[in-house]
Amino acid sequence: MQIANPKQLNKIRKEYLAKQDQYPKKIMVCCGTGCIANGALKLVDAFRDILKKRKIKGFTVEALKETGCHGFCEQGPLVVIEPDGTFYSKVKAKDVEDIVEKSIKKDEIIEKLLFTDPVDKKKITKYNDISFFKYQKRIALKNLGKISAHSIDEYIAYGGYQALAKVLSKMSQDEVIQEITKSGLRGRGGGGFSTGRKWKICKDIKAEAHYVICNGDEGDPGAFMDRSIMEGDPHAVLEGMMIAAYAIGAKQGYIYVREEYPLAVTHLEKAINDCENLGLLGDNILKTGFSFSIKIARGAGAFVCGESSALMKSVAGEVGEPRAKYIRSVVKGLYDQPTVLNNVETLVNVPIIIDKGADWYKKLGTPKSSGTKVFSLVGKVRNTGLIEVPMGITLREIIYDIGGGIIDNRPFKAVQTGGPSGGCLPESQLDLPVDFDTLTEVGAMMGSGGMIVMDDRTCMVDVAKYFLEFLVSESCGKCVPCREGLFQLLKLATKICEGRGEEDDLEKIEKLSDNIILSSLCGLGKSGPNPIMSTLRYFKDEYITHIKDKKCPAGVCRDLITYEILDNCTGCTACKPVCPVNAITGNKKELHVIDQNLCTQCGACFAVCNFDAILVS
Amino acid sequence: MINITINGRIVQAEEGEYLLSVLKREKIDVPALCHHDAVEPYGGCRLCTVEITKKEWNGWSDYVTSCLYPVEKGLIVSTHSTKVNEIRKTILDLYVARHPNSPEIKELAEQYGVFETTFETIADGDNCTLCGICTRICDEMGFHAISLVGRGHGKIVAPPLNEAPPDCTGCLSCALNCPTNFIKFKDEGDYRTIWGKKFELITCSQCGKKTITKEFAQYLSDNRDIPYEYFEICDECHRKQTALEMGKIANWTREEQS
Amino acid sequence: MKKRFIVNPSTCTGCRNCELACAFVHAENGKLGKSRIYPIDGGFKDLWVPVACLQCDDAACVKSCLVNALKRNPETGAIELNHDICVNCKACVAACPFGCSLIDEQHELIVKCDLCGGDPACVLFCPTKALQYKPIDNKTNKIAV
Repeated sequence: MQIANPKQLNKIRKEYLAKQDQYPKKIMVCCGTGCIANGALKLVDAFRDILKKRKIKGFTVEALKETGCHGFCEQGPLVVIEPDGTFYSKVKAKDVEDIVEKSIKKDEIIEKLLFTDPVDKKKITKYNDISFFKYQKRIALKNLGKISAHSIDEYIAYGGYQALAKVLSKMSQDEVIQEITKSGLRGRGGGGFSTGRKWKICKDIKAEAHYVICNGDEGDPGAFMDRSIMEGDPHAVLEGMMIAAYAIGAKQGYIYVREEYPLAVTHLEKAINDCENLGLLGDNILKTGFSFSIKIARGAGAFVCGESSALMKSVAGEVGEPRAKYIRSVVKGLYDQPTVLNNVETLVNVPIIIDKGADWYKKLGTPKSSGTKVFSLVGKVRNTGLIEVPMGITLREIIYDIGGGIIDNRPFKAVQTGGPSGGCLPESQLDLPVDFDTLTEVGAMMGSGGMIVMDDRTCMVDVAKYFLEFLVSESCGKCVPCREGLFQLLKLATKICEGRGEEDDLEKIEKLSDNIILSSLCGLGKSGPNPIMSTLRYFKDEYITHIKDKKCPAGVCRDLITYEILDNCTGCTACKPVCPVNAITGNKKELHVIDQNLCTQCGACFAVCNFDAILVS
Repeated sequence: MINITINGRIVQAEEGEYLLSVLKREKIDVPALCHHDAVEPYGGCRLCTVEITKKEWNGWSDYVTSCLYPVEKGLIVSTHSTKVNEIRKTILDLYVARHPNSPEIKELAEQYGVFETTFETIADGDNCTLCGICTRICDEMGFHAISLVGRGHGKIVAPPLNEAPPDCTGCLSCALNCPTNFIKFKDEGDYRTIWGKKFELITCSQCGKKTITKEFAQYLSDNRDIPYEYFEICDECHRKQTALEMGKIANWTREEQS
Repeated sequence: MKKRFIVNPSTCTGCRNCELACAFVHAENGKLGKSRIYPIDGGFKDLWVPVACLQCDDAACVKSCLVNALKRNPETGAIELNHDICVNCKACVAACPFGCSLIDEQHELIVKCDLCGGDPACVLFCPTKALQYKPIDNKTNKIAV
């Protein structure tokens, strides 16, 4: 059945909601990749088994929803009971029986499944009371964890495709572009370019074809914002693309998904299929004369293919290498035609802006960076996962209020923002309100939203080395400053970590970085020196200690640290068998000793010692 | 035609023309290692980087590779400013680190004051600068016999699967245009070897001189509407043959006139 | 006004002035260039034929060039070889049935006659007018009278 007009959309919505009204309780089982890895599908099977074997009043498979990712993956598998908002974490298949008997049939809470706040150690019952969720403003993520990830009916029921209907029946292309421009929406992939302006430039170019591409490559290590959105709310991505296509006059769109996201591809394919069946994709959509199709293009494991020109080459079946962008891809992109490339998160904001209006959106965030941003908060914080917060929130609020502070109450050292292209910020910057421009001014970068929190046991030189290793292996190799320059920067950083640093190394690093930034062909090279430059800016003393004193204050760089066993060793022999090089000698109940000649500083003994008897210095 | 300023001098150019071709026309020498006019500009070596600005930029400059930058009205270009020279020097420094044994790189580097590298020399660095000229020309010729393989620092120029390339015709365009003469080939007796593949050279049926490979001649004959017999005689013998053919005609004319 | 290069072997004395003029005109870096014209024994008594590029309508050299380095100059009528584009593959040298694409070993280049851009030196230096560069009638495509 194909939808012929917006009224029919409303009909589907009403019918679905009416059906759902029969179920007083709905069980949301998180089926994002993280929870699936932790066994979420076994939970779903367990629920289904129970429902097959017996009838439960007010609860059938229709009330069991496989939702997208809540963003709190470390606590998964997660089960949320709506409409109360009862939040169960680390649920196992064997707990399902209990959940059915106590929380579904009755209104009892299962204490042992509740989430415990890591700061005050209290158990929390409701979703909205958990500090991780309480301070968030979920707009791009509004459907994640709330609706089934594979149902177009559910998406429509909760407001989906209303924006598309409004655009196609009531707005001209220019009106759509004006609304998006007015909202101040800026590219969420890290570029921060005005989305509306990008669309306008593209639309104004006369060409054979215009294209819309959704950038789902998300190559930053540790970033999974776009993955969660593509898996958990695929229709929002499609709707955003459809509106963009209408605005610029495109008939064909592509979603470029990185190779490592098979679940996202499956869910997107189903969503596209469902849309085609309903007539929301294809020819003459909603009988308005607008035709648009979407295809999925897969990546093949290259970070550089997140760069717009390399991505477009990859979509066209060529080797993913960037090109000089003096002629921008909005002018000549895919197949040399004007192309709009937008990030996943940018696109899902579009239907919401059309629905609620640019003025509403502008009220959120800061004057120059309106709206919200999804961050991937990871590292040494107590609460890790995906969070969506209004622009302008401070780093302190993110790390302490939402993140729950540093694990083990260790001192905060730095937060790395923006992935391999970003920079590290120290404690002095914690009260910085986060938005595109403020982060760039202090030498960091919003990037795609990665935020890695570090404590005093993180070595900043080692962090710079880690990101350089990543970039060197992902560099496409076309231009010399990136291919050779980052390689030499890595050699310099490695030298320093290994205790071979020399006096003029820091000056060399600065000069080389400066030239790499000016002369690299693409963003990977241009922003490659950022991690080492920002750590040098704020943590120069640490570098100097490595070079002059040949010491690593954080106790990380293997060549500069020693592991020793202290006097309080009880001789429990826990450390002896885990040493990979048999460097530990000692009898039971006697002081053990590490042979420094054999020790490789791997840290295995330190990890198992329960008596804090191993000193790293 | 538009006016742009290069090193303080006003110069005319076609709007949208690549800046490097304007520089060449004005006889302004800018290094461009990965550039070859037979193929599209690449932007890989970054040596042709120049500093550009415009009046409305209020003193802000950008650094672009002239090989790919389309000129526009009011462009102000500086080809050897301090910053540009510093950029070129750094790039050449990096080149010398990677290719310590290349005389061509050494000579170019010395022009910018790089006599030895300030970075760590790569011990097994060969002389392939990954400029891509060979692969791009091979593609332009239509053979696609070799390509750039791999990513980043480990990139190399190689035939498919590192075996003798089935599509190579032994034309030597790759080897003859390599800026560092890295690609090796051998012409010995009746045969030519390159990329691990052996080719038979055509022997002139008149004088015995060796010309191009049979494979290359066959390709041209099959695809470019040239009779294969044209390739069986060398250019010198062709001239002699032409003289004899024209001579016959001239002789009749002479006989008729007398 | 379109012109055409005319060779009249009957009046050629084999003096090789043309060959010398051509080599001089194409000298570079203190080295003589490679002449594009050679008077060669015509096979009969006192008969010399100056062999030079015929600027063929359906030129084998143009067809053989896989990088489009050979193009007709509409003003002079000559087929010109662009040295910046040429990749030195010698396809044209092997393909020309008249042997008029040549290898300049000294300068490591492939060369061919380009009619000196419209004022051929060999014509200027030929003492017997065996070589001429004359206007042609656009209608009849023959030498204008």
